[in-house]
Amino acid sequence: MEALLDFAREPLFRFCFAVMVLGLLRVLVLDLINLRQAYRRAGDKSVPWKRTIVKSLEWFVPVKRVFNNRPLYSLFSILFHVGLLLVPIFLVAHVRLWPQVVSDWWPALPKFWSDMMAITTIIFALLLLLGRWLSRASSALSRKQDYLWPVLLLIPFVTGLICAQTSVNPKGYQISMLLHVLSGNLIFILIPFTKIAHCVLMPMSQFVAAIAWKFPPETDEAVCATLNKKGAKV
Amino acid sequence: MDRVQKAKTVLWSIVALAASVGTARLLFGLGATTNLSDTTPWGFWIGFDVMGGVALAAGGFVTTAFFYIFKREDFHPLVRPAVLTAFLGYVAVIIGLLFDLGLPWNIWHMIVFWNPHSPLFEVGWCVMLYTTVLLLEFSPVPLEETSRYARMRSLLLKLRLPLVILGIALSTLHQSSLGSLFLIMPFRLHPLWYSPILPVQFFVSAVALGMMMVAFESVVSHWLYRRSPATELIGKLAKAVVWVLGVYLLIRVIDIVASSELGLVFSGSRESVLFIIELLISTIIPLVLFSIPVWRRQSRWQAVGSGLVVFGMVMNRIDVGGLTMLSATGGSYIPSWTELSISFGIVAAAGLVFLFAVERLHVWEKRPQDEQSQQFAMPRFDVISSVWLGNPGMASRVKYSLSFILVFSLGVAFLPWEKIQSKGVPQVEALRARGGDTLVVDGNLDGYGVAFAHDKHVETTGGKDKCVVCHHMNLPGDKQSGCYQCHGQMYTSQDAFRHDWHADPNGAKLACVQCHTPGDERNAKSAKQCKDCHSDLIPAGAAVVVDNYYAPPYADAMHRLCVTCHQQKATEIEGKQALAQCASCHGTLSGQNVLAADAPVTWPSSEGSVFLPSQKLTRSHKK
Repeated sequence: MEALLDFAREPLFRFCFAVMVLGLLRVLVLDLINLRQAYRRAGDKSVPWKRTIVKSLEWFVPVKRVFNNRPLYSLFSILFHVGLLLVPIFLVAHVRLWPQVVSDWWPALPKFWSDMMAITTIIFALLLLLGRWLSRASSALSRKQDYLWPVLLLIPFVTGLICAQTSVNPKGYQISMLLHVLSGNLIFILIPFTKIAHCVLMPMSQFVAAIAWKFPPETDEAVCATLNKKGAKV
Repeated sequence: MDRVQKAKTVLWSIVALAASVGTARLLFGLGATTNLSDTTPWGFWIGFDVMGGVALAAGGFVTTAFFYIFKREDFHPLVRPAVLTAFLGYVAVIIGLLFDLGLPWNIWHMIVFWNPHSPLFEVGWCVMLYTTVLLLEFSPVPLEETSRYARMRSLLLKLRLPLVILGIALSTLHQSSLGSLFLIMPFRLHPLWYSPILPVQFFVSAVALGMMMVAFESVVSHWLYRRSPATELIGKLAKAVVWVLGVYLLIRVIDIVASSELGLVFSGSRESVLFIIELLISTIIPLVLFSIPVWRRQSRWQAVGSGLVVFGMVMNRIDVGGLTMLSATGGSYIPSWTELSISFGIVAAAGLVFLFAVERLHVWEKRPQDEQSQQFAMPRFDVISSVWLGNPGMASRVKYSLSFILVFSLGVAFLPWEKIQSKGVPQVEALRARGGDTLVVDGNLDGYGVAFAHDKHVETTGGKDKCVVCHHMNLPGDKQSGCYQCHGQMYTSQDAFRHDWHADPNGAKLACVQCHTPGDERNAKSAKQCKDCHSDLIPAGAAVVVDNYYAPPYADAMHRLCVTCHQQKATEIEGKQALAQCASCHGTLSGQNVLAADAPVTWPSSEGSVFLPSQKLTRSHKK
């Protein structure tokens, strides 16, 4: 068990973490290249910079935007994301895993708050899952992986919470830790190849719409001609 | 996936591995990432990247000499690829050298700090100048892509012949000087490889290797792009190389016979087997193969023969560059996977640049058609990302970048992290000091140590009540524990606290909460202090303050303890200023204080002094 845990913690973790970092960098660069190509091919090369930046910022702080529709679901989503990001990055036990030069200045959450946030993240993940399942509109749009992701994200949170409790016996601790590390590794490696890549692509998404989502010049006339409605107003 | 696409994916993967390892090499140093040592400082990188690389790139000057000097017009199709290969080869040599140099940022020193007596100085300058010459020779090719630089191109074309002549002169100089480097090592290099005419051997073999590298590169690149191979032209090259290989074989045989080393060839030693294999692969087999006209005109045998020369001659450079020195130095060296990956990565990167140039520039008379570079080709289904890719150019980018990040991550995962964390310092266990009244302090038993007059120190320090002055720790169940018990490693720190033993059901059987406060994070800071349970762990009056249990290396701990006290006593005691000097313990290496392991230790009289001079503890000097 210890050998397996060492393997999962060391080479496997390094591999998965590196794939995540480089993979996200890769999708970002590929996205930028695609964007550049779309811009070069676009007939209309005007880019509404100001509006696009404002829209991007609005999505960064989605309070105003998300409360227009399904406010409770949106609130759960925001709170879920807060825990999902803060706990793994600022958990004391994780910070200590970095080399000392990093861990010395890396801020860490107090244990009470990290435990509380982990619990709320688990609760909100379950509520989101329920919301997706029960809402007809959401379930119609959902694919299998959309249900699997929250479940997968729950595993490291639940097992991590178990490991953080001092009363866990050593055997239970090791199994929980193994599951925690393996599921974490799986998440790392999946991030750049799934929809979670939105964490780096999100700032670009508004620009994609603004630059690439344009019809070539005279498309309206061509469409009308194809539909035998030449001269129709589009 | 097309043949070229597959090859490029493989090349990108090799480059990725080299990129991860190379980053670690530059960040953490040679010791942490290679198997090189003080005994074997020249390894695979020097043999393969530098000496092999320079020789492999000799095709540039050989082909230009054929075409421009000997006016062999039929060799024209080979000139541009040969010059490009040579240029990329030299750039690869320089990049390889940057990884091998301990302080790569000092590579420019030879430009300013001249040492004209050194063959290495000459090689350095020649490589620098010849790389510039090759760049100027090849520049008209990319410049012809645009009319903007037409004047510069026409100027370079006018300078071409002088450049070619300069290139041949520089190549002759440094190809032979690489052999001259080893003339100062007659007792280090194995006699089967050492020769006073090594410069001549290196030059002739470089000519053969250069020709065959051009042939090999032509055969392989034509195969990759599914073009009909230049069989007739390569056949002519093969016919010419028969003469060069013949001369080379003759030189080596005559040299060995003349130096009376023929017996060594058949001695059955590791070196003799290596020598025979090297000569067979690099010279004899290709010589026989290309001597038969039918075979040298067949593309298959051209690939085999040229491949054998390339492999065999590079093997020769690796042998001379370090491998055959091991028997003389007594060292052991097998290149680590990190060294191999950087070497192959540099070659792969050069290969990718070559393919890029071949596709985008007028290197060949007719450019190859890369299916995926056609912008308006039908998009394909990408099996990796499971999506339809709208842009065929994008498809290859997606594939190459994916293979790059996956292999780079594999490199990161399997880097030698233990060595990196120790900065390449070996894990050497420190052993207890031996002896009685006088202790031999020589933790790693390497024969270099200090004879420490323990009883004298007890006496001068204040008797047996003052042991705590030095012995600052009583391990549980022990009194005045020995230095080596906590400082157990010679050169690296170690945790003197055995956490696992304390938690082990077969050890101390302690539950976590017996040391760590329940509810708090479990770490060293929140745990109980050792002295809370082991009350006499740190004796009262100890001169050394122990604020944590991460024990410094044995060598550091010994020096820190002794030197601190000696420096203090040197100022306190009249006439004992010498105590603060290294020689007060280590003395001079005059041999007067050589310590025989079983001989009584006697010290030159130094009245009142308890400190012992000079020891190179040489056990071979017994009686």
